[in-house]
Amino acid sequence: MENVLLTIVTFLPLAGATLLLAIRKDNLKAIRLLALSTATATFLLSLPLFFHFEASTPGMQFEQLVTWIPSIGVNYHVGIDGISLFLVLLTTFLTPITILSSWNSIDRRVKEYFIFLLLLETGMLGVFVALDLFLFYVFWEVMLVPMYFLIGVWGGERRIYAAVKFFLYTMTGSVLMLVAIIALYFFNGGTTFDYLTILSNVQTGKLILTVTEQSWLFLAFFIAFAIKVPLFPFHTWLPDAHVEAPTAGSVILAGVLLKMGTYGMVRFCLPLFSEATLEWTPWINGLAVVGIIYGALVAMVQTDIKRLVAYSSVSHLGFVVLGIFAVNQQGMEGAIYQMLNHGISTGALFLIVGMIYDRRHTRLIQEFGGLATSLPVFSTFFMIVTLSSIGLPLLNGFVGEFLVLLGAFKANVTYTVFATSGIILSAVYMLWMYQRVVFGEVTNERNKGLPDLSLREKFILVPMTLLIIWMGVYSQTFLRKMDSSVSQLLSRFQSTAVVLKK
Amino acid sequence: MLMDNLQSLRYFYPELTLIVAMLVVVIVDISFNRLRNVLNPLLTIAALLIAAYFTAYVNHGQEANLFLGMLALDSFAQFFKLFLLLAALLVVLGSLHSEELLQVHQGEFFALLLAVTLGMLLMANSINLAILYLSLELVSLTSYIMVGYLKGDRLSNEASLKYILFGAISTGSMLYGFSLIYGMTGSLNLYTIRDAFLSQGVQGFDQFTILLALVLTLAGFGFKTAAVPFHFWCPDVYAGAPTPVTAFLSVAPKAAGFAILVRFLFSGMTQTSGSEWGLVNGINWPLVLIGISVLTMTLGNIAALTQNNLKRMLAYSSIAHAGYILMGSVVLTGEGLKSMLIYMFVYLFMNLGAFLVVTIIYNSDRSFEIGDYHGMFKRAPFLTFAMGVFMLSLTGIPPFAGFLGKLYVFLAVIEKGLFWFAVVGTLNAAVAAFYYMRVIKAMVLEEGNGKTAPLHVSFLNQALLVALLIPNLILVVFWNPIERWTASSVKLFSGL
Amino acid sequence: MIPISYYLLLSAILFSIGVFGTMIKRNMVTIFMCIELMLNAVNLSFVAFARYHSLIDGQVFVFFVMAVAAAEAAVGLGIIVALFRNRQTLNVDEADLMKW
Repeated sequence: MENVLLTIVTFLPLAGATLLLAIRKDNLKAIRLLALSTATATFLLSLPLFFHFEASTPGMQFEQLVTWIPSIGVNYHVGIDGISLFLVLLTTFLTPITILSSWNSIDRRVKEYFIFLLLLETGMLGVFVALDLFLFYVFWEVMLVPMYFLIGVWGGERRIYAAVKFFLYTMTGSVLMLVAIIALYFFNGGTTFDYLTILSNVQTGKLILTVTEQSWLFLAFFIAFAIKVPLFPFHTWLPDAHVEAPTAGSVILAGVLLKMGTYGMVRFCLPLFSEATLEWTPWINGLAVVGIIYGALVAMVQTDIKRLVAYSSVSHLGFVVLGIFAVNQQGMEGAIYQMLNHGISTGALFLIVGMIYDRRHTRLIQEFGGLATSLPVFSTFFMIVTLSSIGLPLLNGFVGEFLVLLGAFKANVTYTVFATSGIILSAVYMLWMYQRVVFGEVTNERNKGLPDLSLREKFILVPMTLLIIWMGVYSQTFLRKMDSSVSQLLSRFQSTAVVLKK
Repeated sequence: MLMDNLQSLRYFYPELTLIVAMLVVVIVDISFNRLRNVLNPLLTIAALLIAAYFTAYVNHGQEANLFLGMLALDSFAQFFKLFLLLAALLVVLGSLHSEELLQVHQGEFFALLLAVTLGMLLMANSINLAILYLSLELVSLTSYIMVGYLKGDRLSNEASLKYILFGAISTGSMLYGFSLIYGMTGSLNLYTIRDAFLSQGVQGFDQFTILLALVLTLAGFGFKTAAVPFHFWCPDVYAGAPTPVTAFLSVAPKAAGFAILVRFLFSGMTQTSGSEWGLVNGINWPLVLIGISVLTMTLGNIAALTQNNLKRMLAYSSIAHAGYILMGSVVLTGEGLKSMLIYMFVYLFMNLGAFLVVTIIYNSDRSFEIGDYHGMFKRAPFLTFAMGVFMLSLTGIPPFAGFLGKLYVFLAVIEKGLFWFAVVGTLNAAVAAFYYMRVIKAMVLEEGNGKTAPLHVSFLNQALLVALLIPNLILVVFWNPIERWTASSVKLFSGL
Repeated sequence: MIPISYYLLLSAILFSIGVFGTMIKRNMVTIFMCIELMLNAVNLSFVAFARYHSLIDGQVFVFFVMAVAAAEAAVGLGIIVALFRNRQTLNVDEADLMKW
């Protein structure tokens, strides 16, 4: 039974969305409950993936392979390794939380909202578990559509502009990737889209690509992923999308969608095109560092909290890319760890911004001040999440950033120095923002007498905070499971790189 | 196997059915004043179904040359015939509840539609220039009338005038090309023409004459498929014609045009091995076709960006899609041909679906302006959902069927190493995403324009919408039958 | 006997006149006459070629072309009449309700 588990996890939200269709539009309670229970069930079903995951096996686990379109070699092939496992878990974990967070704040077109949210979850999970390039592309595009609607229908004032921008950016990137996928398919003999087969052909030397071919394919893949990440200078859609999206949209966007870009780099760019990776590493690292610093500097001058968090994402994701393209064990593990951290911390930050927005209907920093007096519980959670985002030791952010910097240091000292300044800057803008919002006198009358966190909101933030602390204190739980996959990826990577260099 | 006239009749049942039905419809129309509105559609539908039955079952698997080498009966023609009959059937059903057509007397409409369908079936079959010309004119002349069917409507008049002027000029050019080909080879049969060209070698003919003949001939085919630079008629005609007719024109004659284009290029103009172009050494034919294809899709997409009239936008979008279909014709392999057939097959469902939604909305709102679609989501959720699927499918986003069409076309060109061509194609898809999403944006994201009354969608139209939605949604999962069907339809050419 | 090139030259000239006529004339009926000229050029070259090859099918083709041309003229005039009723003009430039 175990090999269908991934399929069940992936398509359960879709089934939930289909069931939602049958419920009457004004039966809000049933709609919300069904959505929540679907997402929770998905999360619970995904837990066995974690517990039964063999840490010592570097390859794919929970694999399932079904023939789909034999004539062009398309299969339904899913599976996870130590890299995708956590991204799957992150997705299943965040979705019920986002559903809880939009319990009351979404009041129009509720049914459609939850349908799209669940469709989105299926799309995201599919991207992480797909082991067939065709299937991967299908899922990659599928999740564009619900996200477009989430931003466009339930977003803020400029939501339509943001939605269209988001759609066109990602669409442009992904169509180029389609060409690269098909080209790779034919370089490999035009018989299969299966990722593992192509990968093993690359590694055993059955499929030899010249450096030029590799570079083109690499770039086509990379640009699609870089737009998603988003890597400077492809980041301009992100602040708009983040700011205009509803809270749940932002959480999913920051928590999972951006990770697809970095995940794609780890999964496809590095192992398939190792030579080209080495060729382009300096440029990419350069862009990553520019992104880290640029994102931090721009975040510093923002007046809108959500926009600030959005730009901080650009900076954080720069770290992830830097870690990946350090191409060593620490950097890679740090990068993957940082993906999870960013998903949780930034997700939590967006949730907190959403909670405060629900109370005051503004996100401007100047409107706040002295929230600590009226909202003590809220401020505590806010504090923990802020510190985690900065990378305080014993909280999750520290482990990831530390590993990334360690890896990057081994690879290139100059970049690391610049990147480190990004950490300092992040402390500056986050703490400065926190201070202006939470500490000091209550300057605005309307901030007095705001209700503190409700039970539902606590229920949202407590698991996230627990994870933040757990991941900071005992990172071994997680790192242990990704060790072998990462080292296998890197060892293969180096061996092919050597073979090609000869 | 060459058959004489009497033997051939046995394989001519689909066409005969249509001819009989056409006459019966005319008779019913003048003799039964009360019943005709019920009888005529029923007769038409029945005739189309019977013709499809004959095509699919009775003629299945037959390979023959009918009427002493005038028509080819093969799997390639069978694919197109079924395709065209299906398109006609869907259009008949979609036209029944169209307010535009209800304003005028409908009797001839069905007879004309049957006539066009007959012409298209013959187009798909013909391997002789004379039949090719006659069937093309049968399609053209009747579609001129159908475009101008709303006699009192100035737009309809104007569309029809433009259509007939462009049409007559381009078929005139095509005929002149035919006459030159005939002069050079002494034959009207496509296979004999090819053999004549090949046996004397390309050097045996004046290069300029061959070039002139081919360019003039391609003008005629380009007109039917609305490929740039013969597309000028297309937006105006599509915008002015009654919407069901537009839907029909955007799919069926275009497909028939591709059928004769393919027959002409693949069986008339290439080496018997099928892998090389047999004619005019100095001209790089793939490059010419690539050029036409790129221009067609780019121009179509860019012009569509600025349109505010949805019908006009879909007209330009159909030009762009013709460009994609042409992509497949550049590649002289079975894969290239197969990709064309697949693209047309999925295009049928998404494009007819989009036009059906336009028809339904026009029925109650009397507008084709995208601006008037604002807030449609609240008034007609199901309709909006359907339109969303059709638009996404036209964009080529998986998992909708349109994606498979694009995928196969790209597979075919990339297999031949034409990467840049594929890149241009995909970037075009991204441009197209902009205007297709604009429709979705208007219907879903924008607030309403004051109208709140639910939009009426008749039961027939709802059923038709569902019927068109299903292929768009599930083909990606159950793809194998289509794949096998199209693969067997092009066997004729891949083993050429 | 007159060589075939004479016929072809005449046919080419007629065809060119027809094509130019369709482009420069503004009166719908004149344009249709120019189209007929194109078709007759085609007919001439078909007949000439048929005679040259001593084949019959080219001449048969000409009958088809003539018949279709008549049908085309009938449809075309019908359309022109319908347009004239609504617009009271025969000038193609005034058929300009639809532009880019």
